[in-house]
Amino acid sequence: MDIGFSLEETRFREACRDWLHAHVPAEKRPLNAADAIDFDKAWQRRLFDAGWAGINWPTDYGGRGLSIVQQVVWLEEYAKAHAPWIGANFVGINHGGPTLILNASEAQKAYHLPRILKGEAIWCQGFSEPGAGSDLAGIKTRGRIEGDELIVNGSKIWTSFAHVADWQELVLRTEDGSRRHAGLSWVICDMHAPGITVRPIRKMSGQTEFAEVFYDDVRIPLANVVGGLGNGWKVAMSTLSFERGTGFIADQVKQSQEIEELIAAARANGMMKDDRVADQLAQMRAEVAAVRAMTYRNISHVVRTGQPGAEASVIRLFTSELGQRLERMAVLLKGADILDFRYGDDDAVADYLRGFAATIAGGSAQIQRDIIGERLLGLPKSR
Amino acid sequence: MDLTPNDEQTVFQTATADWCRDNMPLEAARARPAGLWQQLEAMGWTGMTAPGMDLDHATEALVFAELGRFLAPVALLSSAVAARWTGATVKVALALPADGGARLFDGEGATHALGLFGGALGHFEIGEAPPSAPSLDQSATLTRIAGPLTIVAIDHPHAALHLQILAAAYAIGAADAARDMAAAYAQVREQFERPIGWFQAIKHLCADMAVRCAVARSQLYYAACALDAGDAGAAFHVAAAKRLADQAALDNGRANIQIHGGIGMTDEAYPHFCLKRAHLLQHVAPAERTALLAA
Repeated sequence: MDIGFSLEETRFREACRDWLHAHVPAEKRPLNAADAIDFDKAWQRRLFDAGWAGINWPTDYGGRGLSIVQQVVWLEEYAKAHAPWIGANFVGINHGGPTLILNASEAQKAYHLPRILKGEAIWCQGFSEPGAGSDLAGIKTRGRIEGDELIVNGSKIWTSFAHVADWQELVLRTEDGSRRHAGLSWVICDMHAPGITVRPIRKMSGQTEFAEVFYDDVRIPLANVVGGLGNGWKVAMSTLSFERGTGFIADQVKQSQEIEELIAAARANGMMKDDRVADQLAQMRAEVAAVRAMTYRNISHVVRTGQPGAEASVIRLFTSELGQRLERMAVLLKGADILDFRYGDDDAVADYLRGFAATIAGGSAQIQRDIIGERLLGLPKSR
Repeated sequence: MDLTPNDEQTVFQTATADWCRDNMPLEAARARPAGLWQQLEAMGWTGMTAPGMDLDHATEALVFAELGRFLAPVALLSSAVAARWTGATVKVALALPADGGARLFDGEGATHALGLFGGALGHFEIGEAPPSAPSLDQSATLTRIAGPLTIVAIDHPHAALHLQILAAAYAIGAADAARDMAAAYAQVREQFERPIGWFQAIKHLCADMAVRCAVARSQLYYAACALDAGDAGAAFHVAAAKRLADQAALDNGRANIQIHGGIGMTDEAYPHFCLKRAHLLQHVAPAERTALLAA
């Protein structure tokens, strides 16, 4: 075991740092949705042009073909440089693209992957439904096969960036009378197709970045099925393994910035004199260090075996709950100033309110604990 | 960068666990046989940290986590640290400062003791010590000696960190043992006509135990590597590992008793061994808040 980086990795880190230092935009990511999407696309295009998009994606599809360690190095430097949040490109870059790399046909990969990397195509996720949240296998949205098309009816919910997305990773029921995990398919849905209606949902933090999506006789070519008809559950699980596994490395790295900022803030406003505050900060600093260690351990496992370790679900659960504790501390340090919050503000209060999603989205903390209990500890399945 | 054990380290780890399972089961922790220490010496665990052995802290941490899982004698910690920094080749008792004197653990057959006094590592001659008595941790005997003590300080800044990281590894071992004991019981104990591990109320307690172990172990690996590399942040990383390891050991120790229910509260059952060990380790080179908040 060692925590040193190779000469090549160190040179790569320096190159990341230099480029970010010169190119991170001075202005903040805009709050209103229309401006934010332009900002996200333009920034992703700059990353691509400079060779920083898809660092560990295959070169055939516009990636750099480098190692996952270099990907982590990039994300570490990205966070240190206070570079913008990935925003609307989250789904495409972090789990849509990786799912395609693993499961899609040549034609699907050749068309979609470069567009994701260049920021030309925004993706959203269509998994959850009003009646299928934690119980994802309860999906009711149906695709009836007619010729070489699926005719889709139903609805999806909690779809971030649905209003600006070009494509969706849509999981739906394609076999009549099928139940639970069987008879599902993972398809690429064109969000501009006739019959799709997007109804934005306002969060308690004020943003309307997520939405409910309705499908009314939407036609999707069968050629858009990924991984074969009826194999949707398996493909969806690979999506979730990216969403829960490597998709949140950027957030994990960001936490090491956040804890230092909180410690500095507590020293500046005198609250560090409060033993409870000091102890919580000390505790969280240890935990943030451990998150990096867990991430490194998980990455090492990927390098050694080609897949994340069994403890990947632990990282996701722990990081999401730690993130919420950091957000709660930021709010505590602001005292009664939090009462001045209004919709439209983009500050620690907004982060705190938005942050409740961390233990709900991508598998709730309760589902993650089920998975850890059953897969890591061999306890009997409750479901 | 690689935070998974290499092949050689895995061999060390596996060999340690195998030997412990056969010769030093956790279930026998309340009354270790008199000859155990000689066996441990013969296996090389007291001398593996000696300067000439060139064993890195990462490998030591892996081995001590396995020893800790079986609640190996706590004097292995002090003896291993003494071997590295004083050249001692004999058993050295573990000392915790107490009212100007010290509490000595596992003092039988030892002429010297080692511990942290005022933040610095030191060792001293035991002299005429009163006979040892039981302690909270029934695997360790306790002797109180009065001060003043003539402590010989060990100046190297890594010496105290060495004790801290080995104690952290022991605590992670205790946390692992509690987790595995709880999960094994939850698989077989039936209520409402099914294993209690089926119920999320129990399953999630077990999951949290696994989380605490994974978090602390990852930090242990990182800290050991930081120490090996002479990293500027090593003191912080070792303190962080100790803090998380102590919490894992204490919290898992408690959860294990809760999951066992009534039987978990008895002297006859084993869950209390892990909890009591956690309470002892918590006082061995504790992680100070100042170290965790240091720039």
